[in-house]
Amino acid sequence: MASGRVRWPGRAGHGFVTPYVVLLIAFGVVPTGYAIYFAFTDAGDTFVGLSNFLAAANDFRFVTAVGHVAIYLICWLPSLVVLVVALALTLHRVTVRSASRALRFLYYVPGALAGTTGVLVWLFMLDPAVSPAAFLLHAFGFDTFGQVVAPEHLPILFTVIAFWTGAGGWMVVMYGALNNISPDLIEAAKIDGAGAWRTARHVQIPLLRKWIVYMVILAFAGGTQLFVEPQLLSQASVGVAGRDYSLNQLSYDFAFQNNNVNTAAAVSVELLLVGLVVAGLFVARSRFFDAD
Amino acid sequence: MPTDTPADARRTAPRRHSVTAPRPAPPRRGHCGPSSALSAAVLVLFALFFTVPVLWLVLAATKTDEQLVHGNPLSFGSWQALRANWAALSGFQDDVVLLWLRNSALYSCLALVITLCVAIPAGYALALTEFRGRRTLLVVTLIVMIMPNSTLVVPLFLEINAVGLIGSTWSVVLPFSFFPFGVYLAHIFFSTALPRELLAAARLDGCSEFGVFRHVALPLATPAVALVGFFSFVGNWTNYFLPYVLLPESDQLPIQVGLGTLLANVPQFNPTAGALAVERPQLALAALLAIAPVLVIFLFAQRFLVAGMLAGATKE
Amino acid sequence: MTTAVGAGGAASFRTTRRRTASFACAASLVVAAVTACGAGGTTGVQHGFQPVPQTGGTVTVWVDATRLVAAEMYQKAHPSVSMNIVSYDGDANGSNYLQTKVSLFNRTREGWPDVVFSSQNNEVTWAVDAGFTAPLNKGLLPESLLADWAPNANDPCLVDGTLYCLRNDLSQTVLWYDASLMRQWGYQVPTTWEDYEALGKRVAQEHPGYLVGSAGDVFTPEIYLWASKCGANQITGPKAVTVRATGPNCTRMAALLDTLIENRTMSTSSVFSSDFDKNLAGKILMMPGPAWFGGALFQDAFKVPAGRIAVAPMPQWSGEEEPAVGNVGGGTWLLSAHSTNLKAATDFLTWVTTSDEYQGTEAPGYPAHAPAATTWLAKQNSSGYYAGDIAAPLRAAAGQVWPEWGYGQFSQEAIWAATVTPGLTAGKSIVSLLPAWQDAIVNHARANGYAVTR
Repeated sequence: MASGRVRWPGRAGHGFVTPYVVLLIAFGVVPTGYAIYFAFTDAGDTFVGLSNFLAAANDFRFVTAVGHVAIYLICWLPSLVVLVVALALTLHRVTVRSASRALRFLYYVPGALAGTTGVLVWLFMLDPAVSPAAFLLHAFGFDTFGQVVAPEHLPILFTVIAFWTGAGGWMVVMYGALNNISPDLIEAAKIDGAGAWRTARHVQIPLLRKWIVYMVILAFAGGTQLFVEPQLLSQASVGVAGRDYSLNQLSYDFAFQNNNVNTAAAVSVELLLVGLVVAGLFVARSRFFDAD
Repeated sequence: MPTDTPADARRTAPRRHSVTAPRPAPPRRGHCGPSSALSAAVLVLFALFFTVPVLWLVLAATKTDEQLVHGNPLSFGSWQALRANWAALSGFQDDVVLLWLRNSALYSCLALVITLCVAIPAGYALALTEFRGRRTLLVVTLIVMIMPNSTLVVPLFLEINAVGLIGSTWSVVLPFSFFPFGVYLAHIFFSTALPRELLAAARLDGCSEFGVFRHVALPLATPAVALVGFFSFVGNWTNYFLPYVLLPESDQLPIQVGLGTLLANVPQFNPTAGALAVERPQLALAALLAIAPVLVIFLFAQRFLVAGMLAGATKE
Repeated sequence: MTTAVGAGGAASFRTTRRRTASFACAASLVVAAVTACGAGGTTGVQHGFQPVPQTGGTVTVWVDATRLVAAEMYQKAHPSVSMNIVSYDGDANGSNYLQTKVSLFNRTREGWPDVVFSSQNNEVTWAVDAGFTAPLNKGLLPESLLADWAPNANDPCLVDGTLYCLRNDLSQTVLWYDASLMRQWGYQVPTTWEDYEALGKRVAQEHPGYLVGSAGDVFTPEIYLWASKCGANQITGPKAVTVRATGPNCTRMAALLDTLIENRTMSTSSVFSSDFDKNLAGKILMMPGPAWFGGALFQDAFKVPAGRIAVAPMPQWSGEEEPAVGNVGGGTWLLSAHSTNLKAATDFLTWVTTSDEYQGTEAPGYPAHAPAATTWLAKQNSSGYYAGDIAAPLRAAAGQVWPEWGYGQFSQEAIWAATVTPGLTAGKSIVSLLPAWQDAIVNHARANGYAVTR
């Protein structure tokens, strides 16, 4: 690369990113740094090493919360990746444009119902007394709401709710990315005798790699931060999912109920570390940053 | 599931060919029907899964609380009940629901404009230019993206207080405008969909770096703008936590936090709510109002969201 | 401890003499230091309350939607007072909104509301340490006024003899019943728990499907176990609790509930669930529950016709001398120690908790202020909804709330919901779940910095 070309765009690149960097520092780096600072100090601003982390780990709710989040992730991540990619590929094969567009809209609709509304709707969907899917619930042997929201079902229920609200948006992203694949490539695969399945596996999915990795990282981070669903479910139901169901809720409780910002920050820093390790693995394995 | 047959490969043929259009019969046509039927069944099944709850919500707004519990879940209530629900809802604290909607629109739109101005150039620069710190910036963005929200709230509150913005519109708009997801989205878009040769050609033609962005990249970036803008708008519109903590006054709340307030006044969810309680169908109606803008915007944006991106632009 | 006070600066430490457990101390140090963070903490002196300079100005009032009427009525009657009325969720379901906001305001040293309504009774457990609440019986309100509250009604507001909030309403439990069904079937209203259980068994035989109560709600322990004098929640000091959830007073009531759940006269669905509304609401013969069940549940939610629902005193265990009832909720009003217009704020606080215009007439719950309660009861009786007089049993119950059950910072309702409800749904007996319940209370109490005696 000629030296002139590196220097010129170099300056321009800085120009393009400056506004973003300002916001990043103000609302990303500074608060994160502050949180890390909280995690290693006590309320009197003295450095206390790992004692906040120990306090969090020794809390009787910590291990159960870790378990809850882990089981939820095991349910949530594979189902999200498999179903979103499979549905996007299937949807992409629908050649009637209006049908494809209508389906994408229908799949997306719940995405507008994130948070309060979504949980509210599901409180009714999961109640055999009033649910439109009552026949399904009865088929599974559930006759009361209490039986449906039994603690051992919660990871699956949260997965269903999260999939319902989140999958449509990802499908739109995947569909757009699929459209981005040159029809020539698909045509070439077809001429080579590849079926839909092999085309998907050897042509389309590899080209979706970046998007899938992006989705996994965000879904993983989002999954470890499970908060709104159990919080609202505990408020608006018989309270079976406690206010300390997930790690993020525990952190929130530390911060605001126990007035202990430092231990709360320690929990969050742990979540951040786990997220970083997983993101790092994915990024490294998928050569995410390659500028190819 | 589809099988590996040439017949199926036909089905992946370029878009715009109707399924029903007769095609030259491939040798093993037999596999074709069942596979398509299966796909269609799966798609319809999922469509039901995604839409029945929404349909229920729409119908719930037309019922009385009694009908909601005792009637068929998917039956229509009555226009009269809908009107009564609307009257009760708008009577809640003198039309505060409309005020909440207005607040949401204000916060989301302001943040949307800033986000687009910031995230698109940043994503472009990260993807297609070389500069010192590029990789660091990408990594930092990724870290911030996966930082748990609950931790950032207290530091953010202190920071916003330090600059004296607590209670102002900007106290939520500015944090909303910081949208690392959008920068990443733009980065991925530009790095996968914009050929570097195109930019190189423009540079050879004597375009300045800004000129390349303005005249070459930006016109092709409509899908990225739509994607980033759409997710930013929806994310901010549905954000609950940040305004919940940052905004002290009820007449400043966005609709999502307002819905939480309404929920807390439904006796079935909060037995301490007294005589002025909100009924569940009214809550459903409020929820519909809250999601309507997002759905309308999606309908309009969808065309851009899935546009053929650059492939279409260079070929037609 | 001295150094900690120096570091933290908040003077709430004068109340900590009784805290012996080191963990409790450590937790309160954190609270005090966080409270004082950023300003050196000159406010929050509790016992020798030092008001901030009284510069007058707007009184900011936070209320939930139900209490909004009260604030608006006051503003209408007192147009000269500059008020800023803010509605919030009232901390319903333990949302901790108020605590969250106060801890943030403590960091910014501004923004506190002057008067706050909370639907929770345990706000002082954190608000005193946070330096937020002003002591009310140290000069702000006359003793003669405070003496008008129902006996023990303000107990949740007391910390070492200092009053930090005012009770809005009482939620004493009584026995609600369907008078016409009882008459029609020739049953006597039970006065002892033994009779109650026996009647439950008869109903199971003679009128299967009908209910004598519900144990499916998060406040089941407050309705039944509290009234049975079960010592699961004896708050003995600001950060001390005695938990004895497996003693005979607990097991006798748990066994009774188990028997009635088994013969299906005791529902395990929440009375607020759609399931209950749809399938069980028309099958209520009796229902032990708080004072607000009458309006909120029977009249508004279940739409039971007028002239059927009546009130009897809670049953008692035979042989017990002191009658005891439980309590389910009832909100509190807090006055900010940071108020710059204590005069106007106190005036509003007095009006909203005692006036006949609001508490006696408009309030949805049984007023904690006794004279207002008299007006309120007269109005309820004159509405003609209830079968017979509801005033006598409700007024009697108001003075019989068993005082050994307190309000800690941890939520008893959340603990019950998370530990007992799932087991109950899965078919386990309450008796068998009591040890797990006790462990959960102990764990939560300790996590909140309480010294626990078993």
